[in-house]
Amino acid sequence: MSPRLPSARTNLYLSLGSIGFALVLGLVWAPLDSGTGLIETVRRQVTIGDALAPTLAAGMIGLGGVLVLAQRRAPDPGGLGPANLGFLLRFLAVIAVAFALMRWTGPVAVTLANVAVADDLTYRALRDTAPWKYLGFFAGGSFLIATLISAVEGRPTLRAVLIAAATTLALIAVYDLPFDDLLLPPNGDV
Amino acid sequence: MRALLKSAAAALTGLALAGAAAASDWTPPGPIKLMIAFAAGGGADTQARLIAEDLEAKLGWSFIPEQVTGKGGMNLAMAIKDMPNDGSVIGMVVTETLGYNMAAAEAGVTPADYTPIVTTAGFQMGVVAQSAKGWTSFADVVAAAKDGAELRFGTMSPKLTDLAYLLGKAQGVEFNIVQVRGGRAVMNGVNAGDMDLGFMAGIQTKGVAAGELVNLASALSVPLNQTPEAPTLADLGVDFNADGYFLFIGPAGMPEDARDALAAAIAEAVSTEGMKSNGVIAKAFGGPAVIMGDELSALVAGDYEAAGALLQAASE
Amino acid sequence: MGVLDYIWLGILAVFQGPEIFSVAGFGISVTLVMILSGFLMGILVGATPGLAGPMAMAISLPILISIFGFTPDALLPVMGFLIGVMKGATVGGAVPAILFNTPGTPDAYMTTLDGHPMAKAGQARKALKIAHVSSASGDTFSDVVLILCAPFLAVLVEAYLDLPEKTALLILSLAFIASVIGGSVGKGLISMGLGLFVAYVGTGEDFYPRLSLGTQTLAQGFPVATAILGVLILGEVFKALEDLWWDRRAARPPAELVQSGDQRLHWADIRRIAPYIGRSAVIGTAIGALPGIGSTLAATLGYASGARVHARTRPGERPFGQGAPEGIAATEAANSSVSGANLIPVLSLGIPGNAAAVFLILAAESIGGFNPGPSVFKFTADAVNPELVVAFGLFTAMMLANLLNWTIGGVFMRVAGVMIRIPKHILLPVVLLLTLTAIYVQEARMSAMWFAVGFGVLGYGMRRLGISPLPFVIAFILGGKLEDTARQAFAATGGDVWFLFTSPVAAVFIALAVAVVVLSLRRPLEAKA
Repeated sequence: MSPRLPSARTNLYLSLGSIGFALVLGLVWAPLDSGTGLIETVRRQVTIGDALAPTLAAGMIGLGGVLVLAQRRAPDPGGLGPANLGFLLRFLAVIAVAFALMRWTGPVAVTLANVAVADDLTYRALRDTAPWKYLGFFAGGSFLIATLISAVEGRPTLRAVLIAAATTLALIAVYDLPFDDLLLPPNGDV
Repeated sequence: MRALLKSAAAALTGLALAGAAAASDWTPPGPIKLMIAFAAGGGADTQARLIAEDLEAKLGWSFIPEQVTGKGGMNLAMAIKDMPNDGSVIGMVVTETLGYNMAAAEAGVTPADYTPIVTTAGFQMGVVAQSAKGWTSFADVVAAAKDGAELRFGTMSPKLTDLAYLLGKAQGVEFNIVQVRGGRAVMNGVNAGDMDLGFMAGIQTKGVAAGELVNLASALSVPLNQTPEAPTLADLGVDFNADGYFLFIGPAGMPEDARDALAAAIAEAVSTEGMKSNGVIAKAFGGPAVIMGDELSALVAGDYEAAGALLQAASE
Repeated sequence: MGVLDYIWLGILAVFQGPEIFSVAGFGISVTLVMILSGFLMGILVGATPGLAGPMAMAISLPILISIFGFTPDALLPVMGFLIGVMKGATVGGAVPAILFNTPGTPDAYMTTLDGHPMAKAGQARKALKIAHVSSASGDTFSDVVLILCAPFLAVLVEAYLDLPEKTALLILSLAFIASVIGGSVGKGLISMGLGLFVAYVGTGEDFYPRLSLGTQTLAQGFPVATAILGVLILGEVFKALEDLWWDRRAARPPAELVQSGDQRLHWADIRRIAPYIGRSAVIGTAIGALPGIGSTLAATLGYASGARVHARTRPGERPFGQGAPEGIAATEAANSSVSGANLIPVLSLGIPGNAAAVFLILAAESIGGFNPGPSVFKFTADAVNPELVVAFGLFTAMMLANLLNWTIGGVFMRVAGVMIRIPKHILLPVVLLLTLTAIYVQEARMSAMWFAVGFGVLGYGMRRLGISPLPFVIAFILGGKLEDTARQAFAATGGDVWFLFTSPVAAVFIALAVAVVVLSLRRPLEAKA
């Protein structure tokens, strides 16, 4: 198990964070970033404005923060330490790389193909054409699964890569082959 | 053969033959993204999806439908604005989106940022109440309100809220106007007794036929098909109306041939008997109402100009 | 159109729906096939530690919607499948709990206490049979209560509650959920407040999409699937992956236990466990009918009360915790009887009480044509109310799933024991990619996947800090409805600021909402659900 902070300290940070967020949301964000205020008069009728609901939500979060502060020594299974955050950052980095592969493998491949055969295709026109439309999803998806399995096992293995590739192909078969209307990443963005 | 059938059908439905013939050369550059500004499963969404299915079956084009709902179509309008304008992205909204809503939203866009393609159907917008209320005409409503009843008037868009307010003002009564999301919510509210009357845009047809609901007035410039004796808003002293259509749009600057080909294809699908989209339009929206080309451009521009007057009148 | 006509139409809708194939001239309706496949998948998923019913529901939903489309015809097959998963997972959760001392679903934890000792004593198959009978009984009882109660409750609500009272009822439900789930009221309120906040981004009545910071990305708000799948599923995957990462080893499947002796379930056994099943079924149903309290608490309470009675009335016998069949019965009947009753607030009020109900509402919302809530139970005289037909179709689907459970559930439980051999560290990354893909095919933009990952981080943080994500999810779903109803109530009363307090019913609801928060404050509860 990961090293953790004592839960009273975590609860303190949680309550301060909640109160801080509630103050920003209720006093700055909601009033400045809403089309109408708390209560409006339009067409001679008093109506509820757009800022009211987020302000009340901020009130809930703030009240929750105060209560956690008051009961911060209550026994609690929680705990979140720097080690957890370190894991989270590494994990998000893996996801970011995987998403980048999904987004750009296809377009890069098309560009390379254009150079090779001196054509001027675009990925956008090919986004519904096999095998181009699968490149990004296959690369990014396989990378994601293989890296995560390898991370837990402590070393990269061929088995992890094979499982990743098989899973990604299976997902393509499930989502893309039977349905015309469904788009795999990144084909709805290009 | 297909081209022949197509022009024959176009001629039958009274479409501009020349446009259809010139447009038949155009084919979409890959799949067409179809953005739909209406919640999944409703009549409007069904209409859009069936049009796509009809065109896929008939022309072999491929559509990818996608829901972009909210803000009376403005979310779709903002999203489609910067998309490619080669005919590979179209969206279905209502004329109100490019008219009143765009004027009221002040989001930095005007109808000039869009290419209006074609309308498919109008609304049978009525002022509707439960028959159990005992009202048979709008005069009964006014009488009830003048007797001191607090009446709740359900609407489903800011424009309709303005109209409800002006209607009350013209008749010398004040309604408690309750704005909800979508025509079905108005109907549920009226049925549940949460509202006393409300605007419904065709969804009331079945209930009126069954005698459970009653059309008290037409919110259009013309009488309703189902209840022609009900007065129009103009009859009731309101200078504005809720005339509107389902409208296909694209980003600004769409090439002429793409716009015409899309318009002709959609118009043909909704107007041809036997097509799925024609069926649902006949059932839910009182039959197709196709406007395209310059006439449509003028309609959209006019709606936008007129919106200012309504906004002004309703804020007085 | 009387009540009986509607019931009959509902049954017909299930059996005579679109046909998938025909056997000897009889068409087999696709809904039947979907209920069966959902049920079998549910057992497998429930039997797999690390997966749970809601995960399977979440991942299959976009596939199902693509298959069946956005027409009212899609409602019964899709929701029938989800109901099958829900029921199957409840039964399946007991399998690894008994065979390998690992609960397949959190609510099966108490089953390990007596189930695994029985398996170690060579009575694994008998333990599975007891779990099966108890689970199926509890489930069926709960469904009967649902079918009898939901329509009446809905009619009452529609007849007596006006917009202000409906607003007050939503506030009461949210207050209740925030107070009773999770470690403390404070954390429940934070979770709920965040859910409301997220629901309010990009929405609102004005044309300017509020809280969007002027960006187009936030203007459409957060898609429902990203918030729910992110917090509920990705959050769990992140946390479980981290635990594995620190452990740096794959979970090894435990060894097979040697079985011996009489594995049959005798009439005497059933008579012995029947009172425990009955008591737990009532406890589970009562708890299930309250929104927000999960099957885990039901299992705990059912087990505890069973243990008390057992120690008092049968002091000479094997006590709970050492392999008493009564212990399995008390737990399984309680956690299974939550699922039916949990749909009472969903169908009569539109308020989801647990994760499975959240996905049923999500399915109804994505397909359209069925809006869970009081308006469903409008018994129209002349025209057919299609939503009511769907409601009775769902009841039929639930009873069919029960029938499947009674007939073939036991066999499939024994087969499902193999699922534990799938190592978690392979399963979790696969679930991660599946979930992300499911979100992308629904939303068709990369930003949606990023939102989901963001909500996953939020869900991860909540789990680490002892905050239950369920108030977040339920508040997110109800947030829009709460604001809309409040706006409408305010407008309908002609701008009365005190609209929540002027009618006695609304005032009572609000008083109860305050009371439930204050009372829970005084007595910090154990972590639940």
